[in-house]
Order: sequence, then structure tokens, then C-alpha cells
Amino acid sequence: MTKSSTIDAAMVRALAAMAELPLAEGRESTIAPILNAWVKDANELSRKMSAAQHWTVTPATIFAHPPLPDGKA
Amino acid sequence: MATYAKELAQLPLAEAAQLVRAKDVSPVELVEACLARIRAVNDKLAAYISVYEDQARAVAKAAEAMVRAGHWLGPLHGIPVSLKDNVAVRGLATTAGSKILRDWIPDEDATVTTRLRQAGAIFVGKTNMHEFAWGGTSANPHYGAVRNPWNPERFPAGSSGGSGAAVAARTCYGAIGTDTGGSIRLPSAINGIVGIRPTYGRVSNAGIIPLAWSMDTAGPMTRTVEDCAIMFNAIAGPDPKDPNCSAAPVVDYTADLARGARGIRIGVVPGYFFHHLQRPVHDAVRSALKTFEGLGASVIDVNIENIHGNISAQLTIESAEPSSYHQRWLRERPGDYGEDVRTLLEIGEMLLATHYVQAQRYRSLLRSEFLAAFKAVDVFICPTLPFTATPVGAMKVVIENGVEEDMLSAIMQYTGVPSLTGLPSLNVPCGFDLDGLPVGMQIIGQPFGEATLFRVGAAFQAATDFHKRAPAL
Repeated sequence: MTKSSTIDAAMVRALAAMAELPLAEGRESTIAPILNAWVKDANELSRKMSAAQHWTVTPATIFAHPPLPDGKA
Repeated sequence: MATYAKELAQLPLAEAAQLVRAKDVSPVELVEACLARIRAVNDKLAAYISVYEDQARAVAKAAEAMVRAGHWLGPLHGIPVSLKDNVAVRGLATTAGSKILRDWIPDEDATVTTRLRQAGAIFVGKTNMHEFAWGGTSANPHYGAVRNPWNPERFPAGSSGGSGAAVAARTCYGAIGTDTGGSIRLPSAINGIVGIRPTYGRVSNAGIIPLAWSMDTAGPMTRTVEDCAIMFNAIAGPDPKDPNCSAAPVVDYTADLARGARGIRIGVVPGYFFHHLQRPVHDAVRSALKTFEGLGASVIDVNIENIHGNISAQLTIESAEPSSYHQRWLRERPGDYGEDVRTLLEIGEMLLATHYVQAQRYRSLLRSEFLAAFKAVDVFICPTLPFTATPVGAMKVVIENGVEEDMLSAIMQYTGVPSLTGLPSLNVPCGFDLDGLPVGMQIIGQPFGEATLFRVGAAFQAATDFHKRAPAL
């Protein structure tokens, strides 16, 4: 995985367009520095979780269906 | 009369309950005492969005009549409490601290509202909060910035800042807060009160405006651990209206309050729990651990290999999930959000799906490490947050070496672990800084181990008096 590039105003506008999120004029300058810091840390966490020792870890969002009372479908 | 009312408002919930039961005090007197306190302090604190004077008086009269007739419902009978304004009350405005929901009138109570009603509690009002619970300062742009009763120039933390200030200022005997990333524990610590984030799924979220579904919880905020356990007894338990609510049976959470701390094994994570925090907070929590050792508990260093990374995981999940909930409003009414919440919601739309899933995988990893560690310890103890109350409106905080840090990341330093792992966590006051501002410690337990948290917290309060001090306001 390569290091992330700095998120600037143009990238924020592109991300907003991808999400079909209209951004008011000037919002990019507020968003960019915070998003830049968060994405840097999120990418670091992604690298950590991509390590071989964590390959079997499943996300906390999986469903766990309760068994049927009589054990039959 | 005014002095008597003020004295009544100072009582812990448990004492007020016994006076009601013995017919020495009427619920009407308790309600009047709390309403008088609200009138006296709310202009200074902005702790309440709505105050239910007429409704509370009417319910109090009915509660009084029931006691006189010999029908006592239990320790919440006739006790005035407050609800955070993201908790639905049938027929009354529930704003979530927002302009967007300013006029929303729920047609059904939240489950916690129903259960408190059934237990005999009386609602005196709805408390102010960080807009939509997405933030830790309670500097609300629509209903006023909530202020700290210990020093109104300082913040009350959040997002349940109004509930924290309302309880600390003796305007009610307890309040309901909600906690996604720390929003019960943080204002409890900063306002010098007790508050519990339950095990995820122990208390129903039905009828509560969501922030982040996979981490949202609701719980009581009170002045003592005993009071907290009493309120918890009323609201905990299965609820078919909430698909994430656990079917696990409840216990009597007050049963172990007098068992003491002898034999309790307390875990600390030395490279994390006492790293990067203000000195008074460090010293107060370390002193609390000494107190526990004096009570017969043991303190054990425990390594949690993957504890670093929890703040990023929390910010990712706590951004992506609210941004999903708010997606339509953010497009139709962006100008109706406060500046900070609008920015966070916009950011949440720009994180990658892989960031979110990796954060959820990290939760599983962190949870498994803590569950394994609970074979060697009964609870963990750490500071609730690394600093004491900052000035109202501050978005930066200095923790050490004069370096300014982003408030949101800094305030979640210790509360993120229970939020991500779903473990229960109790804030208990454990000291004050040199300016007289409260310090809180966080007692983290095993899943559904709330009774042990109350036991440990009650043992500490039996040996100390931090919880007995009141703000001068």
C-alpha cells in the first residue's frame, strides 16, 4: 500500500461529487485539513488490519442469527 | 421555604426516595424544589431546552395521592428526573438539540421514557445537548452553549452536557444521557457526577434519535453510584422494539453495592491509560488506585497489544454512520446544521467503505483482546478523559507541553475503548484540579458486568467524599 497523498480542496470537491453531495462555496477549506488527518490515520489502521496476523478477523457488523427453537429450518 | 427547597434538592436520589416512601416528603415538594433550582440556574447554564412545570406538578400530585393511599411503586416513585432531548416523549417536542427537529412531536415514548414512567419517575424537563449528539462540547448553536456549574466559563463536555450540568447543579435527582463515543461518561467526569455507559444492547435505544447505530447506548447520570444503580434497574432489560437490545436477563443492580472492593482485580494498561494526560488527572486517578488497594483490591498491569488505533476507528465509524442517517437532510437543509456538525457530516460522506470495514474489523480485534484480558482482571480503571474542563467554545485543548490539539480526538482518548468494544463503563468522580474542577475515572467491565461496576464504584464512594461536594452555583 502506498502512502496517501495530501487531501486538498480539489480532492474534497471530487469526493463530494462522487457522493452527489452539493458543497457550498468555501466548504472545501474547512473540510480538507480535518479529512486529511483522519484519512491518514484511517489508512494507517487499514495497513494494520491488512497484516497477515489479522487475516481471520471479521468485522463487528456481521449478523448472528439465533437458532430455531426445534433446530429445524 | 426557599432554604428547605434547596436542601431537598441537595439530597441524593436514594435518600429522597426513602423520605417519599415514609411520607416525610411529598413528590410535590421534590418537584417544586427542582423547579426552583431550574429557575435559579438555567439562565446561567442553558442546561434545559424544555421545562415541564405544569406537567411535572400534575404528575407529582398524583404520585403524592398514591403514596398516601399506600401504593409506593419503588425508589423512583415521585422522583424528579430529566431526559436528554434526543429521547422521545410522547406529545412533547424532542429536538435532539437541532433546528431540523425543533418542531418534531413524537407520537410514542422512547422505551426508557416508558420504563421511567412505569417506575414512578417525574420528568421535569428535557436537557440541552450537542446538536444531534455529534460532538463533545455541548456548545449548541440553536439553544445556547451549555455551561459547567463548577465554573460557568468552562464547558460541561458532551454530548449529554445538559444532563451533566442539570444533575450537578441539583436541578433533578438524575438524568438520562446517551453515549456513542463517550457522551455520558465525559460530561459525568467534567461535571463531577456518576454516569454509566451500559453494555451495548443492555438498555433499549428504541425512540432515541440515533447517532451511530453500532455504538449508541443510553444510561443514567446521577450524583451517587447507588442512585445510578437505582435508575439502571428501571431502564435495563430486553425490548422487542430494539433489534439490537439483548435478551440476556437483568439482575438487581443494587444488590452488590455494599460488598466492597476486597479481592477485586483491577487492570491498567500502563503504556496507554496513564500516557499523554494533564498532571492533575493523572494524580487523581493514580490516587484512586491507591485507595482501591487500601480497600483490598489489587492493581495489575495488562498489555493490550492493539489498543493504539482506537481513536481513528472510532472517528471513522462515528462519522460514516451519522452521515448515512443524515444524508437527506444534509442535502436539503445543510444551512440548518451548526458549523461543526455540518462539517463532520460532510466528512463522513468522504471516507472510504474500506476505512469503515477495517475499523469494524479492528473492533473485533480489540474486543477479543479485552475479553481475553478479563480472565486475569475483573475491571479496568483509567481516566475518563485526559483533561479537566476547558473554556466554553474552545475547539482546541492543551494537554501537555503547551501543544494545542483537536478537541474531538483528544476528548475520546479513553472513552473510545468501551465504545468500540461494547463493554460497560462507569464514570466515578475521583478528585479535583487546582482550579476546583472535577476529575473522573472510568471503570470498565465485562459484557453485562454492570453490577460489578456499581459494586466497585460504590466501594470507592464509601471511602471518599468527592461525590458529596457540590458546585457553589
